[in-house]
Amino acid sequence: MSGYFAGIVILTCVNLLAVLGLSLLTGFTGSFCFGQAGFMAVGAYVSTLLTMRLNAPFPLALVAGCFASLLVSIPLGYPTLRLKGDYFAIATLGFAEATRLVVENLEKITGGSRGIPSIPTRTSLPVILIVALFCVWLIRNYVSSRHGRNCIAVREDQLAAEAIAVNTFRYKQISFAINAALAGLSGGFLAHYVGFIQPSMFGIPKSTELIAMVIFGGMHSVTGAVLASIVLTALPEVLRVASAWRLVAYGALVVTIMVVRPEGLLGSWELSWSSLRELRSAWQRRFQTQS
Amino acid sequence: MILQQIVNGISIGAVYALIAVGYSLVYSVLNFSNFAHGDVLMLGAYIGFFSLMLLKVPFPLAIALAMVGAGIIAMIIEKIAYRPLRLRRAPLLYFMISAMGMSIFLQNFTIVTIGPNFRTYPDIFPVKPFAVGNLSIGRLDLVILIVTVIVLLLLTWLVYKTRIGIAIQAAAYNMRVASLMGINPDLIATLVFLLAGASAGIGGVLFGMKYTVYPWMGMLTIKAFVAAVVGGLGSLPGAVVGAFVLGITETFAAAYISSAFRDLFSYLLMTIIIVARPAGLMGTVAQEKA
Amino acid sequence: MSRKIVVATLLLAVLFSLSACRQQAKGETIKIGFFGALSGDQAVWGQADRDGVILTVEQINAAGGILGKKVELVVYDDKGDQLEAVNVVKRLINEDKVVAIIGCNSSGRNIAVAPVAEAGKVPVISTFATNPRVTVPEPGKLMKYTFRVCFIDSYSGYVKAKFAWDDLGARRAAVLYEISSDYSVGVRDFFKQSWAELGGELVADEAFKSGDVDFRPQLTKIKEANPDVIIMPFLYKEVALATRQARDLGITATFLGGDGWPSSALLEMAADAVEGSYFVNHGDINAPNVQEWREQYKKRFNKDIEINSIMGHDAMIMLKAAIEKAGKAEPEAIRDALENLKGVEVFTGVINIDPATHNPVGKAASIIAIRNGQFQFYKQFEPMK
Repeated sequence: MSGYFAGIVILTCVNLLAVLGLSLLTGFTGSFCFGQAGFMAVGAYVSTLLTMRLNAPFPLALVAGCFASLLVSIPLGYPTLRLKGDYFAIATLGFAEATRLVVENLEKITGGSRGIPSIPTRTSLPVILIVALFCVWLIRNYVSSRHGRNCIAVREDQLAAEAIAVNTFRYKQISFAINAALAGLSGGFLAHYVGFIQPSMFGIPKSTELIAMVIFGGMHSVTGAVLASIVLTALPEVLRVASAWRLVAYGALVVTIMVVRPEGLLGSWELSWSSLRELRSAWQRRFQTQS
Repeated sequence: MILQQIVNGISIGAVYALIAVGYSLVYSVLNFSNFAHGDVLMLGAYIGFFSLMLLKVPFPLAIALAMVGAGIIAMIIEKIAYRPLRLRRAPLLYFMISAMGMSIFLQNFTIVTIGPNFRTYPDIFPVKPFAVGNLSIGRLDLVILIVTVIVLLLLTWLVYKTRIGIAIQAAAYNMRVASLMGINPDLIATLVFLLAGASAGIGGVLFGMKYTVYPWMGMLTIKAFVAAVVGGLGSLPGAVVGAFVLGITETFAAAYISSAFRDLFSYLLMTIIIVARPAGLMGTVAQEKA
Repeated sequence: MSRKIVVATLLLAVLFSLSACRQQAKGETIKIGFFGALSGDQAVWGQADRDGVILTVEQINAAGGILGKKVELVVYDDKGDQLEAVNVVKRLINEDKVVAIIGCNSSGRNIAVAPVAEAGKVPVISTFATNPRVTVPEPGKLMKYTFRVCFIDSYSGYVKAKFAWDDLGARRAAVLYEISSDYSVGVRDFFKQSWAELGGELVADEAFKSGDVDFRPQLTKIKEANPDVIIMPFLYKEVALATRQARDLGITATFLGGDGWPSSALLEMAADAVEGSYFVNHGDINAPNVQEWREQYKKRFNKDIEINSIMGHDAMIMLKAAIEKAGKAEPEAIRDALENLKGVEVFTGVINIDPATHNPVGKAASIIAIRNGQFQFYKQFEPMK
């Protein structure tokens, strides 16, 4: 596998991890998070500082970054998750911007706007692939479990969910924390793949990209998130010509999907043995009726 | 110097106020945050700019064109991105996402078509500021202040003293019941967006004159949101008050604490208000739980 | 069902096109890569860089090429983004298999791609990146495959300080800089250092972040401190806004800037405010030795040159000299030749590379004054010792 192609797969997995988190938080639990890049930044910087300044082993640094991001989500979510969605959205946006500001100002530690170069490139294709697939499996199971159904209840009608003793606030917090952890993980992998991080990498365009992926693939489908990550990471690589229009396309795509087909490409369809069987039988039936 | 900083704060607060008013209007009636509001402002700024530079119309006409243009654009946005969701009774989440998408679309579309370069309005007002003692008060800033107050008064008169205004208030209170009384919600929505768009249009022109015109002016929407929250979501005068509070807080924070963290302080202010006084400084609407 | 087919087709299309990006057969050309900000708000400079290189390549090819072979230029847009820059450089090295790369105009992006060049063992010549860390990320460490054709921030900071002290007679200086730009922070650091060494007093040191358009709080503080000169090492857009607001507030001090200033847009936006200001540049587009080439450029591209066009040209000439010295168009050999390159004449001076830092030694800065709403060459500053 050529270096270039491997790079694309790695980047896809990086995006996938962050998109998975968003899929859970925004898709399944219904809390619009527009600051995903901020959590990625936390994960990236914490893991980088550990590997570079303290010579920590990569897995430990990754976990630390993941955990740091998760910790940050707790005080952030506490006041904002109780209120209407807009507050939360703006708060997450503010958080992402604030993180960047903090990084830019703590020059001595974070290299400020220059960023941190020459990060050891520890991200390898097999490792990130396995981790990504593992997380997909984890989230899949979470979502199809009772907890997942509770999250969906929170999304659909909070009042009703409360009425059947679902602690909406707790579930939102959990989803937020999981999202932050996944994004932190993603950031750690990204930093040790690119070998370089700068605050400007974690701005609004990045958050936008990730939201667009979740919407595109289908907010109610983990498979959709996977698919969207693949397509929307690989496609811009291929369509280099129209790159200036990429964000225009994302914006238009998001609005179109919301208006025409909010479920996204795959809606609630999930890849699973049973759904594959369904596909197979649907396919067979089609041929039978034709003959 | 403190006095000068207060003047600085008020001058930027006036700009925030113009944006916040339109934003707050949409919020109070239709109950969602129109994240694309700032981008309508941006388009208004460009319309005004090109009217002045290409069509060479006199300044008042340029402003009128900007207001009308922005108002129409706002109506179109409502029709495309929000009405289908409203008709479908889509959850709030979808509105927000759609608004975000629209904002990104408008911003980047402008970047690729008109270009990312900053455009400067010609100096309509004499540049030399009023010097009051040691203070420097820009003429443009005074104009912005006056315009903001006029817009606020106009909107308030419209909403509280006219029949249409009463219809809007009714719709704001409860859209469904209002429609039962014969008020057409689509018409109300269109009207509200038209008004918000027009106020954004003139806001755009004035902002463009003060700070030049560029595609990502829409980022101001966040400031408008913060201003509206601080003043009390759902209250028009509250939005203006909140805007001034925000402007002054930001300016002082930038001057005396850290200029790089300026934006951080606006978020901090919002957080404090949310936690300490969720209804905002002037809000009377009870905070809806989630 | 149709939905699944759409999805499957999309997947196939993606996979197919990815595999189609395979290497074509190597021809009898010397493949050189270029990357720069061809879109986004730095596009003006990125495009000028690129066009300068393109014209130079065409002229080289018309005169017989290098070592008898034609030069083939592969151009990529990094959209002004580090991640993208890393991506395209990887592509240039792994997919297009270029022997050398020219680009780009920003320190941030060059710092990002330097490790990629190290790993891929292909030399990169930056046209405009001035932060010392591009070639020497930390003391004692050298990026063996990164070079540049311009002077560095430590020199430009020094020039600003010395110019303000000697020529402007300033003793109190204020700095306004952009904290989110490593270029701006770098120049500010070096200015502060040089200014302190000269014995000057730093009366104000204010920052803003990218995206800010209102500088009044910082400027009010600066006004209060009563400086003789205000240093503004950032890009022309913010310079225009800041200088206008400064004059609005009644500040009368002289403004002094750097290579982020030169742009006709600056004059369009703030001619009155910047009247009487100065800035430090790599060269002067009105210099006599450039004019003939400038005419050719205008004819070829239907627009006037920017300073970046000249830097692009200089980088290509530097590369050509290295390839000829190496005797073969192979990355390792070119790198070695670049490291010890001496006496190459380019528009902005003579290139003598210091093997310890990969920076050109002895490049002189040009001070440009803004008089009567135009850029006027003021003087040339002595090179770094």
